[in-house]
Amino acid sequence: MDFFKKSLDPIVALAIIAVLDIFLFMIVGAWTVGGGETMIAGLFVKSLVGAKEMNRIPFWHLVFKPTWAYWKIYISLGMGFGALVSAILSKEFYWRVPKHLSEWVMITIGGLLMGIGIRLSFVCNVSTFLGLTPEMNLGGYLAVSGLVIGAWVGTLVYKKVLEA
Amino acid sequence: MITVYGQCLAAFVFGTTVGVLVQRSRWCNTAALRDAMLFKSYRNTKALLIAMMILTVGFTAMISIGNGNPMRFDVGINQFIGLFLFGIGMVFAGACTVSSWVKTGEGNIGALWALLFLIVGLFVSSLVWSFSFWPLAGPSMTGQANAAALQLGFADALTLQRDTGVPAIVFGVIQAGALYTLYRLILRRERAALVPQGQETPTSIERAASPALGCAATMAKPVSSTRDTLSTLGE
Repeated sequence: MDFFKKSLDPIVALAIIAVLDIFLFMIVGAWTVGGGETMIAGLFVKSLVGAKEMNRIPFWHLVFKPTWAYWKIYISLGMGFGALVSAILSKEFYWRVPKHLSEWVMITIGGLLMGIGIRLSFVCNVSTFLGLTPEMNLGGYLAVSGLVIGAWVGTLVYKKVLEA
Repeated sequence: MITVYGQCLAAFVFGTTVGVLVQRSRWCNTAALRDAMLFKSYRNTKALLIAMMILTVGFTAMISIGNGNPMRFDVGINQFIGLFLFGIGMVFAGACTVSSWVKTGEGNIGALWALLFLIVGLFVSSLVWSFSFWPLAGPSMTGQANAAALQLGFADALTLQRDTGVPAIVFGVIQAGALYTLYRLILRRERAALVPQGQETPTSIERAASPALGCAATMAKPVSSTRDTLSTLGE
């Protein structure tokens, strides 16, 4: 179990993931997270309001019909599960809670913006960098441009917040 | 033809492997952009570029032999706007979609909170879409340019290969070359930064990086002693 005792070079990790992603691309499609998260959002709300109410919302009727038989959900759940197992085996699992109110506020705004961004663009950062762009999709180039500029603006704003 | 259950199983196995590898390597997409901009630290950026190069070669090969499952949706200005908002959001939250799941698996309540509000943002946006029906999606996609909807139609390597007769491999070679050039530029910049300081490894720079914002300082520590110092996602 030496694997869980030392750090792994991210270049090695991402190279392995990329090779596996090519096989996934052959079977079902490239690695993506936003699609699965969208479906999880739909299933979560459907469990709260019921299928009848959910069907009244065009998006969930026309674009994403909430179903558990959607492969992208299991990538997201798998990532959480894999990280949990890995953290336990490497004795790195412990509860971490943000200490300051400002952190909670930033995380909340950040989470909301990420959700809105995914829904607006129909892609997330993973499908931008490791799906659309390697597929040489024009959407990937637009998304990369938006993401880099957004991260730059976010970094500037965040620096200001920290300085304040 | 793989069944739906087979697809879900393959996705779960892939996701689990990704979770383990990302947890062990501490790779973070947010850090790949933010640390490069803020600290001139490229540890995560280089890994991202290597993965993109491998995938460009792999996907091009698959597309060229008529294999694989490229994403199909109408490309439009919404991709730029959406990911612009996403970029700001991931810096604020201190995590991207991948690291949110991975950090949640490690017991980070802040990451779980980010995921919850990501889901809230997704659902609220789905309500807005239900009024505006923009951007085009699902049955309303045409695959053709649609100026009124700010859509450019399908425009991936497969489409270009089919429409122009130029093999996808041409686009693939150009893109892989561009990514490799960028990777070399980063290596050159790292070397140029290290020599005047008399440092031997990039890790030294990462250790010196301010812990105020990011993964970089965290990444450089041995995993056994790594604490999550992403300020927004807390301890």
